Amino acid sequence: MNGALDERLRAYLRRRLGRPDLEISGLARIHGGASRETYRFRAHYSVGGRKAERGLILRRDPEASLIETERAIEFCAYRAFHGTGVPVPEVIALEEDAGPLGRPFFVMEEIADCQTASVLSGDPYGAHRDAIGRQFWTILGRIAATDAAKTGMAALVDLPPVETAWRRELAHWMGVVDEDEQEPQPIARAAARWLERNPPPVARRISVVHGDYRTGNFLFDDTGRIRAILDWEMAHLGDPLEDLAWALDPAWAPQDPNRPGGMIARDEAIALWEEASGLAADPAALSWWEIFASFKGAAIWISAAREFADGRNRDPVNAFSGWYLLAFHNKVLADRLVARAAA
Amino acid sequence: MRPEVDAILSSLAQRQLVELAPQLGGAYAQGTATLMALLMRLAAEEFENAAAIRAAENADFRALFLEIAPGVAGPRLRAKLKAAAGDKDTSLKISALNAANEHLRRLLIAAHAHVETRPGAPAREAERAILAALKRSADRRFVAPLAV
Repeated sequence: MNGALDERLRAYLRRRLGRPDLEISGLARIHGGASRETYRFRAHYSVGGRKAERGLILRRDPEASLIETERAIEFCAYRAFHGTGVPVPEVIALEEDAGPLGRPFFVMEEIADCQTASVLSGDPYGAHRDAIGRQFWTILGRIAATDAAKTGMAALVDLPPVETAWRRELAHWMGVVDEDEQEPQPIARAAARWLERNPPPVARRISVVHGDYRTGNFLFDDTGRIRAILDWEMAHLGDPLEDLAWALDPAWAPQDPNRPGGMIARDEAIALWEEASGLAADPAALSWWEIFASFKGAAIWISAAREFADGRNRDPVNAFSGWYLLAFHNKVLADRLVARAAA
Repeated sequence: MRPEVDAILSSLAQRQLVELAPQLGGAYAQGTATLMALLMRLAAEEFENAAAIRAAENADFRALFLEIAPGVAGPRLRAKLKAAAGDKDTSLKISALNAANEHLRRLLIAAHAHVETRPGAPAREAERAILAALKRSADRRFVAPLAV
């Protein structure tokens, strides 16, 4: 089934990597986020007369995406963090021309013998829950502590002022709701108006924001070590509390809201993030960003449902998101708005 | 019709989840088949509850409009709310209930945005009533966390 893709990928990599004897095997699609088609394969080639082999991942733009993102930004984020205290795969090649494989794509290293957790699992991490949790929140703090200017991302995305980083993100996701809603969304719109009327405190810093840092978007091994943070397709520069609030959102482990992401307790998670980031998680600001996170989630699921309904992307994850996750985030938002009104 | 649609979908979902998905070759095929089974479960629930959820929500929104319309300052919006409050669902077809629901939701959004900008206790009371209706709507449509 992947014959044509096999051949085109082989031809591309031979040319791009300067390895005329390169062969590929085992090309197979895997789950890797709804905004890119993800394939695993092995590359075989010779180095100095000796045979070499490497597991690689192909991330190709789909015909339509759950979230429309720039693969150059994702590629840049992987490159910026590789070899730092934020574990990511090594990136191999970025191709923005649709010619070689029909759509733009990039290739990166495969992190073998690892797994991701499902947000639908009641106990996603088993005995490694606490150890993984401590790494998870610390790594997020390290992302926040990274000097954004040194990542190269400023050349690809806007650098927002600390005063209005929130406004840009809110405007973006309000635009998504405007564009993609298939029925009026009174809860999402009420949340958006509340967020606009009650701006958060000024950001302490502008950092790299992963954009989708959560359970399900990192790889861990059998020893409980986090080996790679994945899915940087929504990366941008902004208030680092945006990432913290997103990772804390109850959607990623609804069974126990006191253990965000299904890992360690919320207070310990925030303390680890503060220690690694060098920032204080101002409760008022974090509270704003948590409402924003659920609004952003709702916007993404509204968009996913639209993709499915229009037939642009019939991946069942889009229908699932439009039903289950939108209903979930609408409830979270309604509960939070009622609580704010009663306060 | 027996078996009912929800019974058929639930049964197919279970079979796909437990018997078929594990036998498929490749993680992508297995994962997609599992997700399709979960969607069938959701569709089974929706078949059973869809009309009741929509009818209840439409009635709730109409009762809300009757309550808050007198305090709405804009005469056109007030008139629309009063008119909508007097409507009834005349068909239990999902398409008809959805059409009515969309009209009511648009009015609710307009009314909510309106009262948020108005000063005074009556406006705050209307705002609380609207938020309570939104919470009831979210609770009705909430799907309990699925476990795989």
